Amino acid sequence: MAGTAVAPTKVRVKTSEKRGHRSRTALVNAVPVTVFLLILFVYPIIGVLSLSLKGDSGGFTLHWYADALSGVNLSVLMSTLRISAETAVLSLLVGFVLAHAIARMRPVFAALAMLIVVVPHFISALVRTYGWIIMLGEHGLINTLLTSVHAPGAPYSLLYNETGVVIGTTSVMLPYTVLVLQGVMRGVDGRLLAAAAGFGASRLTIFTRIYLPLVAPGIGTAGLLSFILCLGYYITPALMGGDKQTVVAALIDQQVMKQDQWNSAAAFGVILLLLTFAGLGVLGLAKLRRKKTAARRSSS
Amino acid sequence: MMELPPTRAGHIGRGLSATAILLFLAMPIVIILVTSFGADGIGTFPPQEYSTRWYEQMAAPGGNWATSIALSSLIASLTTVFSLILGVTAAMALARGRLPLHAAVYGLVLAPMLIPQVVIALGLFLFFEPAGMLGSPLAIALGHTVLAAPIAVLIMISTLKGIDERLEDAAASMGASRMTIARRITFPLATPGLIAAAVFSFITSFDEFFIAQFLSTPDTRTLPVLVFNALQFDVDPTVTAVSAVLIALAILALALVALVRKLGGHRNGQSALPIEPLT
Repeated sequence: MAGTAVAPTKVRVKTSEKRGHRSRTALVNAVPVTVFLLILFVYPIIGVLSLSLKGDSGGFTLHWYADALSGVNLSVLMSTLRISAETAVLSLLVGFVLAHAIARMRPVFAALAMLIVVVPHFISALVRTYGWIIMLGEHGLINTLLTSVHAPGAPYSLLYNETGVVIGTTSVMLPYTVLVLQGVMRGVDGRLLAAAAGFGASRLTIFTRIYLPLVAPGIGTAGLLSFILCLGYYITPALMGGDKQTVVAALIDQQVMKQDQWNSAAAFGVILLLLTFAGLGVLGLAKLRRKKTAARRSSS
Repeated sequence: MMELPPTRAGHIGRGLSATAILLFLAMPIVIILVTSFGADGIGTFPPQEYSTRWYEQMAAPGGNWATSIALSSLIASLTTVFSLILGVTAAMALARGRLPLHAAVYGLVLAPMLIPQVVIALGLFLFFEPAGMLGSPLAIALGHTVLAAPIAVLIMISTLKGIDERLEDAAASMGASRMTIARRITFPLATPGLIAAAVFSFITSFDEFFIAQFLSTPDTRTLPVLVFNALQFDVDPTVTAVSAVLIALAILALALVALVRKLGGHRNGQSALPIEPLT
């Protein structure tokens, strides 16, 4: 709470009567959102789970999972994982460079740069993807520019293949990585770097031995976050990936809309869900470990 | 921050790379805005000739586009109402009250932001299909509320936490009733947050594709669903104008939020933009 002034004394009266009242009101206030999400979020997801385990005759089966993890389906899953990983790495690299530059800009420019990072996030991904399609086509801006400077091999095919998809998804995930990295970079104590320089450490040493370890938690969070968000992402791959089914979410859409294969779609949904939970679990564990280390340091 | 003296090369290198990346982010948007005024129908950039014909086509009454814009507006308005109700009450519980099971409720509220949207959409499809509610604007709005409510909750929590509770206590000590305090103190102070929550709920719904795609029928297609189909199946040049309008709408909405927050005297701009759920 940056806005509030320092509170020297708590004027508030904390009688047990008031406390009891507060917890009762809180319970009442928590009811609408809890009930709503239990009915329209948790229950439907349980529905997906049970559908994925139901055989044609109604009994329990793992058939749909076996089906999802073999043949063409497996290759779709693998390419989803690959695209997500590529996107995570690329948006991390690009995001790191940008966040690092923003951290060293004068405040006015830094604010302007953050604006350019954040505003696109609120513009429909559909629209931004369309912008990329216009830009990356054979006669699009990028290829026109590259041809005019006689780049070898131009025009390149940047659209309707994995390159196009990854360019598109990276631009969608970039705001997340920049914001997370910005957060940790702002927290780095510059005096540590200056001290290292004072002891004669080279710039490279300072960067790899001090700066990187300090921002490592942010790198982990940003990378995993864009990986997770990419797993279930659909719009950009569907529009920029061409005729081949490239990602799981597109497969689910097709199975439901065109083939009425709900069980199989549900199995894919649960697989996505499990992968997401795995990613979140890693994030949670890392956070817990950092907290423990911090607690140990401060107590010793 | 970094207190090492910058080298000249490093300075220029950083400036150039940052500019390139910012261009990477902004170019698709600029291109759409410019292309939408092009006279030829194939989305060439830069256009040879300029006209507003795609805008006229988009606004043509009774056309597909006008119909779906109306539908999307209706759904987004319903979503805004639902998620404000849920957002305000949940934030009261999470930010102000001493809620038993606080962590569980908070986790439940954040979960829709992290779970793959395709899974949520599939679940909602299975939920509404047996009820015969596919294609119903109400069903789509309820689905959108699952995504919009968490954002509204987060904004309202940060709004309520930013209000000094001592003001309310002071009013109470002078004999103001609970209703008077809510009406004269809490509500006016929370207004910028309420407007931000409303705006973000509205754009979340207006831009949402997945749930709308799963819950729509050929007669009820929201704007994003129509845009998606136009991009995937037929090249209808009107879609550039529609996209440009969507861009303008998002920028206007963000400007509105920034304005009310400025008028409301909030200086920390970060909480206004609920972009990342994990930190």
